[in-house]
Amino acid sequence: MEQVEQNKSPELRSEELVVNMGPQHPSTHGVLYLELRLDGEIVVDCRPHLGYLHRSIEKIAENRTYIQFVPFTDRLDYLASMNNNLGYVLAVEKLLGLPVNERVQYIRTIIVELNRVGSHLVSIGTFAQDLGAYATPLFYCFRDREKIVELFDELCGSRLTYNYMRIGGVQNDLPPGVDKIIKDFIQYERKKLDEYNELLTYNAIFLSRTKKVGILSKETAINYGVTGPCLRATGFKWDLRKEEPYLIYDRFKFDIPVGTMGDSWDRYKVRLEEIQESLKIIEQAIGAVPEGNPVAKVNKVYKPAAGEVYLRTENPRGELGFYIVSDGTTKPYRNKIRSPSFSNLSVLPELIRGLNVSDAVCVLGSIDIVMGEIDR
Amino acid sequence: MFRPIKVFFLSALSLLIGMKVTIKNLFSPPVTLDYPNKKQPMKKNFRGMVDLKPPACVICYQCIKICPTAALFLSHKTVEQDAKKKNEITKFTFNAELCCFCGLCEEVCPTDAIYLNQMYEVSVFSHDDLLSIDLMDPKKYKHLDDRTVNQPEPNPQ
Amino acid sequence: MPGMGLLLLKGMAVLGFISTSAMFLIWWERKVSALIQNRMGPMATGWHGSLQSVADSIKLLLKENIVPAGADKLIWWLAPFFVVFPSVSAFVTIPFSEKLVPRDLNVGILFVTSITSVCVLGIFMAGWGSNNKYSLLGGMRSAAQIISYEVPLLLSIVLVVMQTGTLSMVEIVRAQAHGWFLLRPHLALAFVIYLISATAEVNRVPFDIPEAESELGAGYHTEYSGMKFAMFFVAEYTNLFIISAVAATLFLGGWQGPLLPPVVWFLLKAYGIIFLLMWVRWTLPRVRMDQMMAFAWKVLTPVSLANLLLSGWLMLR
Repeated sequence: MEQVEQNKSPELRSEELVVNMGPQHPSTHGVLYLELRLDGEIVVDCRPHLGYLHRSIEKIAENRTYIQFVPFTDRLDYLASMNNNLGYVLAVEKLLGLPVNERVQYIRTIIVELNRVGSHLVSIGTFAQDLGAYATPLFYCFRDREKIVELFDELCGSRLTYNYMRIGGVQNDLPPGVDKIIKDFIQYERKKLDEYNELLTYNAIFLSRTKKVGILSKETAINYGVTGPCLRATGFKWDLRKEEPYLIYDRFKFDIPVGTMGDSWDRYKVRLEEIQESLKIIEQAIGAVPEGNPVAKVNKVYKPAAGEVYLRTENPRGELGFYIVSDGTTKPYRNKIRSPSFSNLSVLPELIRGLNVSDAVCVLGSIDIVMGEIDR
Repeated sequence: MFRPIKVFFLSALSLLIGMKVTIKNLFSPPVTLDYPNKKQPMKKNFRGMVDLKPPACVICYQCIKICPTAALFLSHKTVEQDAKKKNEITKFTFNAELCCFCGLCEEVCPTDAIYLNQMYEVSVFSHDDLLSIDLMDPKKYKHLDDRTVNQPEPNPQ
Repeated sequence: MPGMGLLLLKGMAVLGFISTSAMFLIWWERKVSALIQNRMGPMATGWHGSLQSVADSIKLLLKENIVPAGADKLIWWLAPFFVVFPSVSAFVTIPFSEKLVPRDLNVGILFVTSITSVCVLGIFMAGWGSNNKYSLLGGMRSAAQIISYEVPLLLSIVLVVMQTGTLSMVEIVRAQAHGWFLLRPHLALAFVIYLISATAEVNRVPFDIPEAESELGAGYHTEYSGMKFAMFFVAEYTNLFIISAVAATLFLGGWQGPLLPPVVWFLLKAYGIIFLLMWVRWTLPRVRMDQMMAFAWKVLTPVSLANLLLSGWLMLR
């Protein structure tokens, strides 16, 4: 910004270059529109414009019964549909005071953690793509994610919008032989994570592009409500799975990876390490699934008593909250969704001011937004 | 003095390690399919297009009620047959443009009459072909059939 | 004029070779990238999609030519020619074998390096003429990049010229009759510097900053479509072949080799270097503009200067 001030002599004048990055742009992760003001290639100011993917999901929720809304939660953060399903279903179950059995808890934990692995894989792949590693890491990540998606396909019949969690249970029981598939996947994925490290994490060009780029301080992160890997990369140890254990996370042993500086590389590394931790959780859970019937009937009409509930869960991108107000009818009076990507995106202008365009793309990729849950 | 040189060589080494990974993958078999020529069979409970077995339908309207996007339409009339009152479907249509393929109708159906088949290549040239598909018509997906790998088998669950 | 007919024939042979080579390289690049990424790549047209480039070029020929509103028409129309023309001209002095040289100029290597620098003009014209901010950014980046990398590139070539005492490419190859220049340490260093700066010259990863798909869309050729886009594409792959051919000539002994005919040896070496560049492209991320400039001026230029000084001292001693 000082450079701009210097140029303001009366006879010699320079203008800022306004670049509209998006809504059609290869690296804005969907339909985000960033209005960038550039001085040469330095970003002077950035204004994100939202709303290109707005489907008024919160309003739709007011006109749907509690069960009917589950497929809509798939469309929030479409890379982590299972986690969204879970957040909503847990909130409704809390509202109803509905207990679920042990098998359901275990199945949910395994599935949600698998989805977290898949989501982080996409995030790593697209981040590398944004840095100009032409599609190779992206394809490796999608190749590995495919195994998870195939499993989900077998489990619930869909590859992206799962609609798997049900109020009081899940849609289908685990298919036979799933233990072996998941154990094989864990072995496979651990090997592949080493490959990612060789290809990307400690690559000199990758390090020079991401280290000390877009440093997010702990205070700024908390002020903007940044959660998830972006918050943990600043060194702040906050994970709802540990702080307010929902499901049965308190039974498993796992660590919370934290970064040191809060730069783009830390955010990437935290995601990579979270995959390891998720694999640990799955490994512990898959051997201990108890017997029981996890399938919930859907033709039941739920009529919760008038009241309200707020429940937050740890999504791959941060803290997903559902605030549901019931007026005693079959449909909620209000359903407010607190989506992690929205808060994470709001810190972007703060981060990219003063960097150049290449770094702006890098920071945007490292924050890992999904437009589906920003616009809702 | 020596640190920059060391850093330089380590950086070059890291790039070479990366190249080792890609050359290893160059000689590993592809994981994708040669798609239009080879097709992967769909999973048993894959959620494709909505399909109906008309004789099994008891006109309970459960699927209409549960559908989150109102993609199904059903109407019936009562006819007298052999001095017995009987319900008969007059119109049962499915709007594939609205459907979100959540599979809730399949789950609520008490007689497994309505189900989601395994069709996944469902693109057509006109929107009109998808707006109101008559579920009572046994040949409703005929224009899509020749592009579908395995014929729909009703889900046993 | 009997000489004229031969010249025409040579010219047509060069043009034919350029277009087939570019088409082959595009197909090959797609196939290599697919195999690296565990995909199959083009499979539909011909054996393993080998006719895909032909199909693509027919498609591009038939496409509408869209001129963006507000474009600087003259500059916009001329830009693709300015990009293609130098890369075609540079073929004049490439020695495919001792006899098979379109024209053995006695300033051959100087001619190649000077004519390929004209490319930057075309790229900048494309960036300016498109009336697109991304294209402009790409064009500016490109100008800065190509001009800075010209320095280490030329310094590494100067070393070869010092060694042989000639600028003719045929003579340079002849001087390598008793061993490739790559096998001598100071020239091996020059080879590495040449390869890195040549990668930057042709805008390939990790120096594809002017195109920078994830940042600028496609940089300077964002607005081009149809045949004009195809010309940029052909120029890109022709330049790729030229830098590999020059590298093969200067450092790998050109057409020289046992058993196989000289042309085959030359093409093998050139395509070997192209494969190396493709392999690099599909592995590494892109560097940032300032890092790239710093690398050119702070690392490559001093190192090549020091190399030049040291080898000159050793030669004079």
